[in-house]
Amino acid sequence: MNLSRRQFFKVLSGIAALALSPKDGLSYKGKFATLIDITRCDGCNDEPIPRCVKACREENKHRFPEPKKPIMPYWPRKTYEDWSDKRDKIDTLTPYNWLFIQKVEIEGKTLYIPRRCMHCDTPPCVKGCPFGALSKQPEGNTVIDHSICFGGAKCRDICPWHIPQRQAGVGIYLKLMPKFAGGGVMYKCDLCDARIKRGEEPACVIACRERLKDRTVYKFGHREEIYAEARRRAEKEGLYIYGDTQNGGTSTLYLSAISFEKIEAKLKELKARFQMPVKVRNLYKEEINPLGVAVLSAGAMGILTGVVGALAGKKQDDKEVL
Amino acid sequence: MGRKIKRYGAIVRLEHWMVALSGIMLIFTGLGCLPLFKRYYITELPGFKWTANFYTVTKLHYIFAIFFVFAVLFHIFYHGLRRDFSLLPKKGDFIASLKMILASFGLGKEPPADKWLPEQRWAYVGIGFTTLIVLLTGIIKVLKNLEWIYFGPKVESTINLLHTISGGLFILLFFIHIFFVLAVKSNWPLLKAMLTGYVDEEYVKHRHPLWYERLRKRLQ
Repeated sequence: MNLSRRQFFKVLSGIAALALSPKDGLSYKGKFATLIDITRCDGCNDEPIPRCVKACREENKHRFPEPKKPIMPYWPRKTYEDWSDKRDKIDTLTPYNWLFIQKVEIEGKTLYIPRRCMHCDTPPCVKGCPFGALSKQPEGNTVIDHSICFGGAKCRDICPWHIPQRQAGVGIYLKLMPKFAGGGVMYKCDLCDARIKRGEEPACVIACRERLKDRTVYKFGHREEIYAEARRRAEKEGLYIYGDTQNGGTSTLYLSAISFEKIEAKLKELKARFQMPVKVRNLYKEEINPLGVAVLSAGAMGILTGVVGALAGKKQDDKEVL
Repeated sequence: MGRKIKRYGAIVRLEHWMVALSGIMLIFTGLGCLPLFKRYYITELPGFKWTANFYTVTKLHYIFAIFFVFAVLFHIFYHGLRRDFSLLPKKGDFIASLKMILASFGLGKEPPADKWLPEQRWAYVGIGFTTLIVLLTGIIKVLKNLEWIYFGPKVESTINLLHTISGGLFILLFFIHIFFVLAVKSNWPLLKAMLTGYVDEEYVKHRHPLWYERLRKRLQ
């Protein structure tokens, strides 16, 4: 190998430049966000089913799971997750209900909190899915591809709010080793991906506006505008924001007159299935990514030492016999 | 009688064991990144409770990747620049490999080999190619998580899946490798050599006659 000193340093500086150049310009926050104003939500308490929940179920019903029965347990365990007989359940998240209204009484007031996927800026579910079934869309929403989801429920485990819900007896795992691996398909709100890609609003947003007109709970729009409006209103009306810092930022901002610390404490006390923690660290950003930099540096070091070693060392086979 | 012949230098042994040990840990933590350990009670084994936390397992996966990535890239650049290409398959290796594998099971005789056995060269290419895919997709995943690159949902999903599949293939090839080292007695001197660096002259004479011939000529 004939590498002049100049060429050698060119290679070195190239590798160093690759490793050190700033790349934050490519980070992706997504185009849209939703404002959920819980000071306005009354849970549609004069109607049998909240409008947003009804619209969500109607919009997505063609994608609801139709499991083949009998459903096999998750061997060697004897359990499996089946919600197919509880399709009418609207007071929690299920594979058949991707949005629900969480009712909480705090200081004599009743709060109605619409709960669904927060659509994080740095979603752990997307980063952690081993099958690549989850993706972060340019619009900012997080989508599960039901056709390749194995239903291992890792996304639910690593989601700070444990949002995705599993239905057994459906999905691609049935075609491989259904007894030994896979557990169904995960379901959650995808922010009406098809609708927002067509330039329309999510179904829940429209349904709420039909009832509450200009006092609507949901507002869907460009991310910067939604963030600006939330901050402006929080300051002007003395409201609290949730979702702007949690898990490194999300595309869902809640506005509340009661602090989210109080809401968190109450939900904890109630041992609610879906909590609202105020301090949510994004462990991918804070703990895993620094190790990622170490991995890349180790790669650069490996290349460097390899190049230096090869150039410095003579080829020696002649010492093979003692 | 009793002379020892150097087969693996210190650098080669270091590379091998760095890849092997970090590889084993990457296999374990990689499997732990799949939602399987809880289901199969691994998380309930004494001392394995930490495997229930996907974040802990992922962090460890990254830590072992530091050693793996270093060793593999060092290997490629060091031996690539030195033009150490004798482990790449040669003409006729395919048939010779089949004969070699049959001989491992007591069927027929091993064809005369040089320093590297023909099936070793094929195994090297197979495991090397798989390692490259698993390593490249892994690095792309790291870059994607850092948000230093952005490919769009479809490509990112494909890369995730490709890392999982090539990781599975790596596990399979790893077990085949271990099987041929441990179960085939004629390979035991090679395992010893990977630890000490040396093989017996008698072994070389019988199993690597072409290599032996070269060594003898050089000494004369």
